[in-house]
This record gives sequence, C-alpha cells and structure tokens, in this order.
Amino acid sequence: MGHEPDFKLHHPDFDELNKRLERRDFLKKTAGGLGALALGTLLSSSISSKTFEQQILEALPTIAPKAKRVLYLFMSGGPSQFETFDYKPMLSSMLGKGLPESVRNGQRLTGMSANQSKLPIAPSFCDFKQYGKSKTWVSDLLPYTAEVVDELCIIKSMYTEQINHDPALTFFQTGHQLPGRPSIGSWLSYGLGTENKNLPAFIVLVSKNASRDQPLYARLWGNGFLPSQHQGVQFRAGNDPVLFLNNPAGYDGKDRKEMLHYLNKLNELQNDVWGDPEVEARMSQYELAFRMQTSVPDVMDTANETEEVFELYGPESRDKGSYASNCILARKLLEKDVRFVQLYHQGWDHHGSLPQGIKQQCKQTDQPTAALIMDLKRRGMLEDTLVIWGGEFGRTVYSQGKLDKDNYGRDHHPRCFTMWMAGAGVKPGITYGATDDFSYNIIKKPVHVHDFQATLLHIMGLNHENLVYKYQGRRFRLTDVSGKVIKEILT
Amino acid sequence: MKKYFLIIGFILFLFAFNVSSKIPDEVAAAYKELPTIIDYNEHVKPILSDKCYACHGPDVTKQKAGLRLDIADSAYAPLKESPGKVAIFPFNLNKSELFHRIISKDPDYMMPMPKSHLILSAKEKAILIKWIENGAVFKPHWAFVAPLKKVIPMVYNLNVINPIDNFVFSKIQQEGLQPSPAASREILLRRVSLDLTGLPPTIEEMDAFLNDKSANAYEKQVDRLLNSPHYGEKMATQWLDLARFADSYGYTVDRTRDMSVYRDWVIHSFNENLSYKNFITDQLAGDLLPAPTKETIIATAFNRNHPQNMEGGIIESEFQTEYVMDRTNTFGEAFLSISVGCARCHDHKYDPVSQENYYQLYSFFNNVKEAGQISWNDDMPTPTLLLPTKEEEKTIAYIKSKIKEKEEQLKEIIKNEDSDFNNWIKEEKYKAIPNNGLPKSFLQGYFSFEDSLKNSVNDSTHAIMRQDWDTKSEQPLFEKNSNGQHLKLNGDVYLDLKNIGIFRKSDPFSIGLWLYIPKEMKEGVIFHKSNAERLYNFKGFNVSMHQDRLEMTMAHTAPSNAITKVALGAIPRNQWIQLTMTYDGSSEAKGLNLFIDGAPLPMETVMDQLYKDIVFFNKEEPALQFGGWYRGLGFKDGKLDDIAIYNRALTQFEIKILAKKSNWNEITKKLSSQLTKEELVILKDYYVSVINPKILAARTALQLERAHFSDASENIKELMVMQEMAKPKKTYLLSRGQYDAPLKEVFPNTPERIFPFPANLPKNRYGLAQWLTDERNPLTARVAVNHLWQNFFGNGIVKTAENFGSQGEMPSHLDLLDWLAIEFRESGWDVKKMNKLMVMSATYQQDSKTSWIAKEKDPENKLLARGPSNRLTAEMIRDNALTACGILNKKIGGKSFYPYQPEGLWEINNTNYIQDTTDEIYRRSLYIVLKRTVPNPTLANFDGPSRASCVVRRQSTNTPLQALVTLNDPTFIEAAKIMGEEMCKQTNIESAIHQVYRKLTGTTPNLKEVALLANLQQSQYRLFKSNPNKINGWLNTGLYKINKTLDPSLVAANTVVASTILNSDATITKR
Repeated sequence: MGHEPDFKLHHPDFDELNKRLERRDFLKKTAGGLGALALGTLLSSSISSKTFEQQILEALPTIAPKAKRVLYLFMSGGPSQFETFDYKPMLSSMLGKGLPESVRNGQRLTGMSANQSKLPIAPSFCDFKQYGKSKTWVSDLLPYTAEVVDELCIIKSMYTEQINHDPALTFFQTGHQLPGRPSIGSWLSYGLGTENKNLPAFIVLVSKNASRDQPLYARLWGNGFLPSQHQGVQFRAGNDPVLFLNNPAGYDGKDRKEMLHYLNKLNELQNDVWGDPEVEARMSQYELAFRMQTSVPDVMDTANETEEVFELYGPESRDKGSYASNCILARKLLEKDVRFVQLYHQGWDHHGSLPQGIKQQCKQTDQPTAALIMDLKRRGMLEDTLVIWGGEFGRTVYSQGKLDKDNYGRDHHPRCFTMWMAGAGVKPGITYGATDDFSYNIIKKPVHVHDFQATLLHIMGLNHENLVYKYQGRRFRLTDVSGKVIKEILT
Repeated sequence: MKKYFLIIGFILFLFAFNVSSKIPDEVAAAYKELPTIIDYNEHVKPILSDKCYACHGPDVTKQKAGLRLDIADSAYAPLKESPGKVAIFPFNLNKSELFHRIISKDPDYMMPMPKSHLILSAKEKAILIKWIENGAVFKPHWAFVAPLKKVIPMVYNLNVINPIDNFVFSKIQQEGLQPSPAASREILLRRVSLDLTGLPPTIEEMDAFLNDKSANAYEKQVDRLLNSPHYGEKMATQWLDLARFADSYGYTVDRTRDMSVYRDWVIHSFNENLSYKNFITDQLAGDLLPAPTKETIIATAFNRNHPQNMEGGIIESEFQTEYVMDRTNTFGEAFLSISVGCARCHDHKYDPVSQENYYQLYSFFNNVKEAGQISWNDDMPTPTLLLPTKEEEKTIAYIKSKIKEKEEQLKEIIKNEDSDFNNWIKEEKYKAIPNNGLPKSFLQGYFSFEDSLKNSVNDSTHAIMRQDWDTKSEQPLFEKNSNGQHLKLNGDVYLDLKNIGIFRKSDPFSIGLWLYIPKEMKEGVIFHKSNAERLYNFKGFNVSMHQDRLEMTMAHTAPSNAITKVALGAIPRNQWIQLTMTYDGSSEAKGLNLFIDGAPLPMETVMDQLYKDIVFFNKEEPALQFGGWYRGLGFKDGKLDDIAIYNRALTQFEIKILAKKSNWNEITKKLSSQLTKEELVILKDYYVSVINPKILAARTALQLERAHFSDASENIKELMVMQEMAKPKKTYLLSRGQYDAPLKEVFPNTPERIFPFPANLPKNRYGLAQWLTDERNPLTARVAVNHLWQNFFGNGIVKTAENFGSQGEMPSHLDLLDWLAIEFRESGWDVKKMNKLMVMSATYQQDSKTSWIAKEKDPENKLLARGPSNRLTAEMIRDNALTACGILNKKIGGKSFYPYQPEGLWEINNTNYIQDTTDEIYRRSLYIVLKRTVPNPTLANFDGPSRASCVVRRQSTNTPLQALVTLNDPTFIEAAKIMGEEMCKQTNIESAIHQVYRKLTGTTPNLKEVALLANLQQSQYRLFKSNPNKINGWLNTGLYKINKTLDPSLVAANTVVASTILNSDATITKR
C-alpha cells in the first residue's frame, strides 16, 4: 500500500482518514506540528533504516477509526472479579471447602499461596443485583457504576500469562512481560500523532489517595525503543504539573516569551554558520515547550468547573490529585483532544482483609468512574472516546491465608478476570465471555491481553499487525506475535 | 489447505502468465538506477533477510515449502511443492520461481505473501532481478568471515594523517565529493575534549591551545586528554550503558543497592589503559583466571548488574532463568553485536544461532548459586565479595588472630586439665551425673506437650501456635499416644517458641526432638529460625524436607552465604524418630550436624561459606518455629514431641540418651576401675562439655571472640560477583524459552557458524572469554572498534552497532573496519592507542559544516566528507554547565549521589528520595543515582537509558521536555546564576558575555551575538529593576548563595543571559 502525497479514499467511511491525511500532510509542511519536528529529528537519527515518514505512513489507519481518544482507568493491583462483576451465587454454600482439583487442574500458583496446605473457597461477601435494561449483575460495592451499566461492555473472560504484578503490569501496558517495549499510549502516539499541538499525545495521572500496596514504574508509560517524544508524560497534582514546567518563581510567561525571542535570534545567528535543520527543529521544541507552559496549567485548573460537576464526581473531587479529581482532569484533557489519557489507581492487591480493602477502593473510585461516563456522554464525547476499566489480573476463588466469612484474602489469578470498555466502537450494555462456577477457568470466549490490545488499536483505526517498529533487526509490535480483534464487541 | 491453494494458484498462474512474466514499469525504471555491480552482502542479503527469512531462513521450524533462501544449495534446489521448478536459477530469470513470485500481483501467488505485511519496493525487486541475471552468487555474511588485512588505498592530492583517512578519503573521491577542511581550533578542542573526557575545555585550556604554535599542538591536547583522569569517566559512561549498570534492582519496589565498586573498576581500568582483551576477560571470568585477584573478581559484577526481583509471589526458578538469559543476551549484544536473545524461543530467524546454540551459550552463565527472589531485608543477593576497608581489614585480621589464640588456649586447657579429669574419675564424681532421662545442663527450653505449650525449664516462657504472620494465637492440636501427648501439625499453623532458640553463628547449640514424618511428605519445613521461607532469602537456620531429602541450611543470605548439607540416604517415614541438630559455633559445615535416633546422619555438604551472621539484629527477632512458615510448605500431617533446646553442642553420648538409645545408668553404677576405654571417652566428652569451669570459661571466651568477629563483619560492604558452582548446574534447552519446559540437556558451547569453540579451551566462562578474544573470532575486535568509532563520529562504521547480523546495516567502510579491527588486536587491544588513532585522523578533524552538495548526496554523512556533529549526551549537557560555572565537583568514584530532583517522583514505588545537601550534588552526571524504574528526569529527558538491559547505541531525540529541562531544571538555573554573578566582576557587559559564552560553548561569540545578548541583558535589567519580585526564582534556586552586596537585578539580568547562551545551539550541540 503506497501513500502518495495526494492519497485519498473516496468513501464516506474514510472521511475521518482523509482528514487525518490532510492534517498529517499539513504537519509535515509546517514547522509547528509535532509531525514535522519528529521528522526533522528522525531523518538524521532514526534507529530504523526507514524514515519516520515511511514508518508513519505504513502505519496509517487502513480501518475507519471509531474512536479519537482513549481513557484508560488502570486499577493497579488486580481487582477481584468476585466482589465487582463476576457473580458466583453457587459459592455461597461452599465456604471453606477445598477447591476441587478438577477445577484447578494443576495450574500454577504464585509463591504466596502455592505452599498452602489447603485452598479454601471464599464466597464473596457482597450482594449482587441486576441493573439496567441489560439486567447486568453488579455488586453492591459499585452502586454508581450500576447506574451506568447499560453503557458498559463487560468482558468477563480476560486472561493473562503473568502471575505477578511487575510482569503482569508490564505485559498489559507493553505486550511483553520484560521491560523495554513501548507502552500502549506510546504506540498510539507513534501511530496517530497528536491532535493537540500544545499538549503531549499521551498523558498519565496517578491517584495520590490510593493505598500504595504495589508500586508503579515509569516504564509503564515509557516509550521503550520508540523515539522519546512518544513517552507518556505524567501530569502531577501540585505546583509543577509537568516536570520543570514552571519558570523561575516570579518570572512569568511574558518574560519567558521575551527571553525565548532572544534565544531564537541567538540560534539563528549561530546557525548562519552551520545551516543545520536540526537547529530549527530544536527551536520549534522550545516553542512547543512554551505553549505547554501556558496550556498545561490551564487544563489542570478545575476551578472553573461548576458546582454540579463536583457533585457528580463526588466528595473527593475537589481534592487535587485524588482519583475523583483526576477523573475531572481526564475529561478536560480529552476535551482538548489528548490522544491517550491513562489514570492509575493503586491499592487493589488484596491478599488479606479483602472485604475491608475493596470497600475502600470502590468507595474511592465508583462514583467518579460512573460520573465520567455520564459526563462524557452528555457532552457528546462518549461517541468518539473509548473508556477502559481494569487491572492486570484477577483474584483466586480460594482464600490466601486464613478464611472467615467476612474476612479473607485472595491471591493473584491470571486465568480469568473482568474488565470493561465503554464508548466509541464498543457495544454498550453487553457482557462478553463467561467463567466457570468458581471463576477459575474461562468457559466461553476467552480474551487474551494481546486480543484486548489488538481490539483497542482496531477501534483507533490501526491494524495491530501493521503498527510495527523495526528495532535490533526485528519488527516489533504491541501485540508481539499474537492477538486478534474481538469483533463481536465492536459496534 | 494452504498447500491446496498454492497449487491452484500455481495452476492459474501457468494459464494466466505462461512462462515469461513482464517486468513492471516501475521495476524496470528502478533497474536502470542500480549500480553496475550488485553485491550479495551489500545489496541482496539485506532484502532476503528482511523480507524472506521469516519463512525461508535459518529458523528450521518456520521454513515454508522446505525452501531456505539463506544458503545457495537450498535456493538452487528443486522446489518440493512446485515440481520442476527452482526458486533461483542463476543467470536465468524465467526459470527462477522467485522472480515470478515477486513481481506477481496475485495474492495467492505473490511473495512475500500479503498476510506477512511485508512489501518489496521496486528497487528491491530490481536488485533481486539483476542479481539473478548476474548469476545469483551467494557469499557468506561479511560479519562471520574473519577480517583480513586490507591494502591501504592510495589517495591523490589530499593530505592524510593516518590510514583511516586513506580509507575514508578514497571513498569520498570515488563518490565525487571532497573532504572538508579542518575545523577551527576552538571547535576542534571542544569536540575532542567532550569526546575524550566528557568535559568541555576551560578558558585556560582553550587559550593554551590557541596560542600553541607548535606543529603538534593538537596532538599535545589529545595526549593531555587521554591522560586526564576524566578520560576513564567518559569511557565508562558508554560502557555502563552496555553493562546495564544501575543503582537499583529494577523490578517493582526497585530498592537501591550499591554496585559502585564495579563502576569505579571500569573507570580505573580505562584510565590505566587495561587492554581490551583483559578488560572483557576479567568481566566475564575474573573469578576463573589462573590467578584471580580482588580486582578481577570485582570485574565479574558485570554479570550481576542485571535487574532482580523481590516481588513476594514470584516463582524462584522463573526468575533464576530470567537472570541467566539476561547474561546470555547481554553477552551477545555487548561483545558480538548479535541478538542471540531471539533464539531463546526458536532458532534465530536471520542469523546462524539455533535455539540449541542459545542454551549452550546460556549454560556458561548458569553455574552460579543465586536466588531468583532477592531478600526483603536488603541483604546483598549472593554470591558476593566482601570489600573491607583498610580499617576493617585490620580489625578482622586482629580478631581472627584472637580467635586462633582462643582456639589454641582451649585445646591447651583441655590438655592441661587432664589430671583434673583423672581426679574427677578417681573420685567417682561422674556418679552424680543425673540419670533420669533428659540431659539437663545448659537446657534452654523443653516442650513435652503433656498438657500445654509451656516450657518446662522456665515457667515464664510459653510457646504459641500461629499462622502466617498473625500474632493471634491458634488452637494447638494434641494427640494422645502411649507416652502421653504429642503435637499434630497441618502445614499452615506452626509452633512459635517466642524467645527460645535465638542463636548467632558464634553460639554453639543443640536442638533435639521426636518426630513422625508422613510418607507423602516430599517438601516442607520441620523446624526453622527465620522470618519466612524465601522472602528474606533465607536467613537463620532450618531443617526441611527438600526434593524428598532431608536438608539443613544455616545462612546469612541463602544460597551462597550459607552452610547447606543434604542427607545422603532416605529418612524413615511413618514412624517416630528422634532427630538432633548440633552446632559448635565454628561457622563451618563440619561443625553443623544431624543425628537420627542417636546416630550421625551421613550428609553431603553442598555449600560451606557462611561469612556473616544469621540473625536480623532487630527487635522482632524471630525465634525457633516448628511445622510451618510464612508462604512456605509446612510439616503437613507431621507429628512432634519432646523438643529440647540446649545452649551447647551435646556430646554424642547425650544425643543417644535423647534418642533413648542409652542412659548413664550403665556408667554411673560402675566403679572407676571398672570403666572401659570407650566409657572413659564418653565421660571425657561430658566432662569437657559440662563439668570443668576452666574449660567452660575458655570456650565462652572463644565464643565471645567469634561474636566479635561477626560484629566486625556485619557491616562490611559486599559486591555481587560471579562464583562458579563446584558441580555445574544441568542446563536444558527450554521449550519456547519457558523456565518450566525443559527439553534436552545441553552443554557449554558457542554458535559454530560464528566460530567453533576450540577443543582445548575449558568449558566455562574463562574458556568463553578465550573464544571471544581468539584472533579467529570474526566479531569481537570489529564490534569493539565500532563502539569506539561511534563515540567520535556519532554513528558506527556499522550504524546498527547493536546488530552485525543479517538484519543489521552493512558497514559503510568494511575495509576500514577490518583494518581497524586487526590494528586493534595486533596492538594488544590497546584502547587508548585506538582512540588516539581515531581522533588524530584528518577525517575526525574535519569541519562539520554541511555544503549543500554534500547534504544532497549524503544527508546522513555516511561517507564522512564532513566532521561529526551531534547533540551533547545527557551527561555532557549537565557536566558542561557545571564546568562552565566552575562548580563541578571532580571527585572520582564512590557511591552514587542524589542531585536536585523534583519532589515526590520516587513515591510511585513507595520510596523516598533524599537529596544530597553538600557539594556532592555538583559531581559528574555518571555518578547520579540511577533508579531503573524512576529515572532521573534531567538525564532521561536527554535519552539517558534506564539501564534495564544492555544498550550499545543511545537514541538521540529532540523533545519539548528537553527544552523545559535546560530552561527550568534547578541544576541549570543555578549554573546560570553562578555565571551571572561572575559576570558582575567584569568591567563591561561585552567582555562578561564574551567570557560566559566561551565557557559554555568553547567558542568566541561574534559581534552580532554579543550585541544581541547585551541587548537582552539591558532589557532584563530594566525588567528586574522595576519588578524586583521577578528576581526571586533566578537568584534563590539551588544551594549556591550569591554575594549579597551585588545588585540583585544585575545578577538576575546576567543570569538570564547565561541561561540563554546555555540553551542555545552552540552549547547544546557538539560541532
């Protein structure tokens, strides 16, 4: 497939694609857009033998994209499916009974419960009811999510190959369990560029109010071997939302503009000698940095939100850096057409005292999450925004450690867990896949992490087998060597 | 099915196209542009490799239609699935199936197949066509053929300095270009200073060079720089990327650990100009050399730099495997520039490294006794090398001599007390030995479970039953037996003796118990003194069933700072036995023993190097526990009774008494004259162990001295190093690379198609190092000179410095690469000499300005018709600013430091960043603490790698975040501020600008630049004068305090000027 400069496809399905092509063409020609800047750098220092242009063009959407933006609510630690979405009424009568070997079937356990002499079944302490037109079962810990359940496409048959946090998180975010590969957001930035030239294409928010039971690592939003302009940029609560964004205290934007004006002139004088296009590229980066200095504080400022919005997102929404506040912020970033926003909320790793822990997690996240869905919907943004909720794996049906009716723990369980998607590209109000009575094995329509990634890219208009980057002699992709699009959940 | 379609496709093809296919117009057009000679390696192989090998390459399992295009025999052979056809028929296009397939548009017939997403361009098709027409000659891949000494080409009408120029300039001339004139002295000095030391020249150095009229002025500078101690720092910076050196473990919590001793060894080795051969041999096999030294063992930390995991739930063997793979992959990338890691799961798709080759290579790095999960209490993962300071060395030596002395004294006293013993016998005092069962002397605890968990020796102590780490008590399960009661265990709930059984490695002790081991039990702990099975990477001691054998470990940190012994025979099951463990406080395996039913248990010692203490030295010291442990397998369905703990090593006779195999009655009822020889020995043992106060005192003194030794050793620094196991670990080919899927056993060997492993070499890492540096090895020297080359020229002669395989780029100057490689080897692998050769070349000294002709013809500067020009590296950008403002702390080596860093960054993995507050913060950037999961933003934004894996070539990108760093990072504001203050000392602003400009850029500003900056200074001065609040940030950033007597507005205005120069191209780019 060759993309000529005037390449166009004349079918209404491809209007969006054509718009993109025009934009890309524009970016290539102007000094201001990220495309051109990246081009400038990469032409001289590309890791691959291909130019950036070639690589971008090869990766161009060949599928009409359904979503423009992604919001990924990452519930780090592995939320239990038993206390959220995967209703298993049969377990209520099995408190303390050993997990039948026919169910476990010799599958490996983590080093934490592999040595238990018994694997006692822990029924969920939660009540489940059916909600919405879709009559979807939801736990009583998620009353707000229950209200928007008709918007969700719940996948109960997710599975992964990783059994511990670090490899599992890295696998979810990069398609490979070992460090070094680009994250989903970086791939999207690389494949689709940015829609907002004043903000990074990939922004990360981390809740400050989560219990930090399991750590996070910057590589989860790292660019791996992709050029570093595709890295996720963490926006932090507080005075310096992006590292080194603030000018020296007292020196304001106008002052900085003046100084940069001189810097530009100095660079021009210096470059009279060298005639190096790289200098122009760097000057544009300074301009972009300057624009970020204005636009980031602006977008971070939630003061102008109405009373009603804070009500909607719940009591913690005024507390900057909290999950609820980050949800408002995420919506604002999406409004600015940031390509990929990822929220991390830690604290779902409930090896012990699960009931107490998960109540707290749900209290912090349920209302803001549901509010986001409603807010995006009423602003007409759910039509072209894909929202994702989920963790890196699920939890075991049996208790890790001691078991009481109201107090137990659950170990990591990679063999099945629940995630949901909502908004652009996915069918609302459906449940996909199913697990056995113990939520231990998948009995219907398994979805591998690579399938999920392939589906996500598909919704963004990218073929996961085409979005490749050649590094160390090999073509790498987000989905490694597998992955298939889950067509049945697509609109 | 697929085959079926292929055949149909083929038949259709026969009808549709007859035999001769028409060459498409665009291919014909591209054909006309091709060079006259099509070279297999340069033109053809890259296409075959990239577009065809995935299905028709070296990976045996993926070969489609039985066709391989990487070897001529297969490519020319009849096609199995297309009878009568061959893929390539030399000199004959129409008979070559490959030709028809690559120009076909039929999706069922064309190659590459559409579903591969691989496309051949018109030019690539043309190349393949022309190659077939010219005879389709296959040649071996250039990188796997040993370099041959090439004739140095002649160059006409150009000044050459050394043979590098002959190779480069002759090629430039062939292409119709001209080399550039030499760069200005200012530019050249800055270039060579940054390239050789990572630091810019000072004004004094610049002036000295500018004023030096001698013919060898430049060479003098080169020699000065090569002899600077900062040369080693610069060279080390690249090497540390390759060696994935970091200050943290790299997974999850990612705690820091100190490997700086290795880093300093690297710096020192470069400064001392250790030959590259020894440099890499030490790192690979410094512990296996005929005469290893402390330094060569330190070097082996190279293979322990990889990330390690402490996550609670990980599976031990999974991560052990991962670490060995990291070493194997790093070996391939660092020394061979071959991505051997690709062969972990399957044969390499492009290069001659089979999956078996991979595991053979892997087996060299597998023989180290290490843990998969590292300790939660920050003990250095073993094996380690102790690195005492001079002071500590003295103390240790002194205490060792004292221990020796006390041991002698003890022997002496025992001998001297012979007469006393004889009297004791004569007076028949042995008759007073209590003979009612259990030995009582030095009994610390005794638990008989008759009615409770109480300690019958001391009523105030009481054991409890626990599960996990709960402090809550569980109910004990007692069972009746003929002698009363015993304790039954379920594997999860365990007996915790609370404060009983806490021993140091200097304490002699004994533990006796009755136990019933069920037949089914193959894994599980019987008793231990520790916090958990693995999480503390085992510290303390334990007796367990492991792989169906009884095993005993006493450890500071398992597995290599420990004593481990394994029973040789089977242990009686489903019956009550009596087990006693005794330990003499010697820290040696022979002093740690087990007895079953009173008889010594024959055991094999698998580890005997315990060199630090076995307790935690904290308040919550765990006590002796029975039957289970946190997150480990317990004594499921086991039974326990009559546990006795002693503060001494029991004598063999007493052990028999414990086992009810004997008692004192026989002896104590005898008259002294009736005692047999054996009985006298038994009594002597007992007398020495319990009776004689002088002996007891001497033994206590020895114990105390041993405790001193432990105290003095505890805080001695340790470095992770390599240590070969006495018995090599078995290595298996792992199916799909999975730790738990071993297929067949493999043995140490190297990929034979690179260079076969000579039979006379030892099959260990030392042999591997010799294989690597053998002159017949085609890769090592080439790879090394290519690394050096890219330091100076930005790109290597092979641009893909990490990949010399089929998928890598061809060398831009193969003959030069080979000449350099041989030169390097024949010079004795002399790194400084090679560096000098490169920077002395006229090629290197060229001006880097780009003429438009050169830019058109060679945008990437592959031909080197101009000098190198690159953005400063992350480290250089910071070091340049610190040097320019004069605040750089030039201390070499030592622990990494904590510079300015925005608050809270480390919080995402629950760790605290504590910034340094002394002039440590002004040290060179290669010493900045490198936490793998949260990289320092100043360095990371300028492409400093996270050091999670081997990197031989950094990215060089350009992002807005970089602009924010040099504009607003306190490091750079502070540097500008110091320069701003300095500028106030100059009489006029022009000379002040002149000076700062030179310091930051190494060049003299022109009049326009000075005027522009003077303007800026005036406008900023007016701004600050009228808005004093705008000054604050500029003058209060960083630890440095400026002179209060100066006009703050003036300092701030100057600071803005310095910051502007610092952000300009002349600073950021090395021209």
